[in-house]
Amino acid sequence: MVASIRFLGMQRVIANTDGIDMPITGNTKVNDILEYVRRQYPALQLEEGMVLVTVNLEAASLDRILRDKDTISFLPLIAGG
Amino acid sequence: MRILRQIRYKPAKVVGGYADRILRVDLDTKEITIQELPPDFKSKYIGGRGYALKIIWDGTTRQTRYDSPDNILVMASGPLGNEPAFPGTGKFIVGTISPLTDTFIDSNIGGHFGPLLKRAGFDALAVSGISKEDVVILIDGDAQTITIAAAPAYDDETNDGALSFGERLLKDVNGGEYSDSLAAVTVGKGASNARFGVVNSLFFDVRRKRIRSKQAGRGGTGTVMRYKGLRGIVVRSSLSKVNGNNAIDKEGVRQAGSRLKAVVSRCDPQQLHMATWGTTGLSEYMDKFHIFPINNYQYGHSPQSPNLFGNVFLEKYFSRKIPDGCYYGCNLACAKGAENVELTRGPKVGKVVNIDGPEYETVGAVSSMGIFDPHFVMEYNWYCDEYGIDTISTGVTISFFMECCQRGFLSADDIGYELTFGNIQAVDRLLHEIASGKGFGKIVGQGVARGKKWVAQKYASRNGTSEDAVMAELNKFGMEVKGLEFSMYITKESLAQQGGYGFALKGPQHDEAWLIFIDQVHKELPTLEHKANALKWFPLIRTWFNATGLCKLPWIDVRNPEAASTAEPAKNLPTLAYYVSYLNATTGSNKSLQDVLDDSERLYILQKLINLRHRKGSRASDQIPWRAIGPAYFNEYEARAEYYDEWLQQQLGDNKLPASPEQRHKLLMEKRIEAYQQLCDIVYEKKGFTSEGIPKRETVEKFGLMDEQAKQLLSQLGI
Repeated sequence: MVASIRFLGMQRVIANTDGIDMPITGNTKVNDILEYVRRQYPALQLEEGMVLVTVNLEAASLDRILRDKDTISFLPLIAGG
Repeated sequence: MRILRQIRYKPAKVVGGYADRILRVDLDTKEITIQELPPDFKSKYIGGRGYALKIIWDGTTRQTRYDSPDNILVMASGPLGNEPAFPGTGKFIVGTISPLTDTFIDSNIGGHFGPLLKRAGFDALAVSGISKEDVVILIDGDAQTITIAAAPAYDDETNDGALSFGERLLKDVNGGEYSDSLAAVTVGKGASNARFGVVNSLFFDVRRKRIRSKQAGRGGTGTVMRYKGLRGIVVRSSLSKVNGNNAIDKEGVRQAGSRLKAVVSRCDPQQLHMATWGTTGLSEYMDKFHIFPINNYQYGHSPQSPNLFGNVFLEKYFSRKIPDGCYYGCNLACAKGAENVELTRGPKVGKVVNIDGPEYETVGAVSSMGIFDPHFVMEYNWYCDEYGIDTISTGVTISFFMECCQRGFLSADDIGYELTFGNIQAVDRLLHEIASGKGFGKIVGQGVARGKKWVAQKYASRNGTSEDAVMAELNKFGMEVKGLEFSMYITKESLAQQGGYGFALKGPQHDEAWLIFIDQVHKELPTLEHKANALKWFPLIRTWFNATGLCKLPWIDVRNPEAASTAEPAKNLPTLAYYVSYLNATTGSNKSLQDVLDDSERLYILQKLINLRHRKGSRASDQIPWRAIGPAYFNEYEARAEYYDEWLQQQLGDNKLPASPEQRHKLLMEKRIEAYQQLCDIVYEKKGFTSEGIPKRETVEKFGLMDEQAKQLLSQLGI
């Protein structure tokens, strides 16, 4: 099984890639992905409370169990100008 | 300059954010008067939008139209709009009766004009009458004079341009040099020929060492200014900008400002990166979530969209590492700009220009015309600013006519050339025709609402069908409400934002509510009750920003991490607490957030009354195009069939989806339209309105607004 991590906005510029894939098991949680990305890309600064984690374009909690081909993003908390 | 009238005056000292004076200028009689405000005026109407509303309510009538001599053009800052120690001050409001909506419109604008007007001794400027010759107004707090002068006659190129004219004017009145003690508002030739003319706000940027501009873009305020024969207004004051509001508790202001600046400094570099690429970064997120208004809002996403993402403008155009606040002290600094951009199209081809922007809205407007060329965005931005026309209404109106061609309501014969989505050459031609009032530009310059009528008449007479039938079809995709064109967000997947646009008193501009993400992505508004509560709360707090002279972005687009542990994170209440502290420290008040919301609700109800007076305030005026509700046409449904089918299945519960896609599309739209009507019912109830969207007597009385005019109006409406 694999999950896809998509980088958007400045994350894409900093990471220098649109996204990466990560192998997952039946127990992999969103938080595991977050920790993985933090280790791989420390410059991204994914602090708690600063970003919205989405799975398949919907907000998701950190303890959500991932499924094969889920897509994860870390979004700014956009609320409209 | 030939002086037509001049008075001497002693500028009032600003105390606690107020000068307690309004400057009134009548361009018919050239009379200049200074109105002292009674003490309860500021406590009731706050400033900014509130002052504009009260002046318009008292000084105009149901018969007043944008071009009536009694229409008033109001420019007003607020008690908080003049303070470098707090981020995002410096905003002011331009309010008037709109040529697009025929009711009250206001548009907020950055730059130095509002703070300088305050330091020159005025909370607001109200201009009535129409001058027979073009004039400028000079408010000189240093010389202690107010002057109406004949507008200087430069060469044609300078005279026609809102930017060119303003740059020249600012130099001429200051001995040939720019200074940040002066600022101007100007209009261009597009405001003479289109209903969506803007007011440009010009100021000297000491860092970039050039004149920069911001725009009051929505609703045709510049058209009103130009119709009055008013080419520009210059204000000057050399008084210190430090503690410009002369706050009652200066240390309180400093502390509140320091707290907000710390949040902005820490969070923006991890969130939207506004300080790096302004609002252009939004394009990518809007495209990802199918909100980018491509081809007149038909599709929210395109493989070509990356050409318009923030990184493109950052790499190709924006000057880097320059703090770009539109007023001093703002560390969000999102007013990005570019120098030395060569125009490759239009009448000024080959000219090298400085461009302020683009903002997300301008990028979105270009995508609505199906164009994905970033250099065209820059040129479109500059030409619209120079002509003085709104990038949003220009783009949305052009894209409406493009879709009329797509669906067979118009042909190239009607326009004079092919007008298809993505056709840069056609848009380039049409843009200049709009500004000049020539060719098909004359029709487009009237906006979508009047454009629909023109198309309906033309198509009906040619095909022997009824105009009503044609209009019903055009109402599906003509993206306007109350006469104002939509700003640049697709709402098909957010019922809350459908209301955010439909109930917005000025028309579908997102400065009353932007609920798309908390509804569509965060899923924080699962029920009609949740949506209705948000549709009451957000317009009230956002109205307050427009009354006080503040920019909303440091609050709404920089999420304080402490908000995560609150019950409603989207309200960003920890940051709002800084704003309430700033208010109290400045004015010496002791208000709570609820007091602030109550103050704001008074203004909201007053605006509703003006809308009712101008026949734009009832339920019928809150109805939105089919396209704002869902996929108006089958091609839109097909592009997101999986999503729409899932939504429809949720509504149907255990019942089966219809077999054919066409049946599913039809049923989907029926359900969506029904949901919007349910939303109207519950929102009106929350706001203290009748089911027709009219404020109940007790609602008007609660806010002390039941004057004779309000009594008569409500009686006429059967309330």
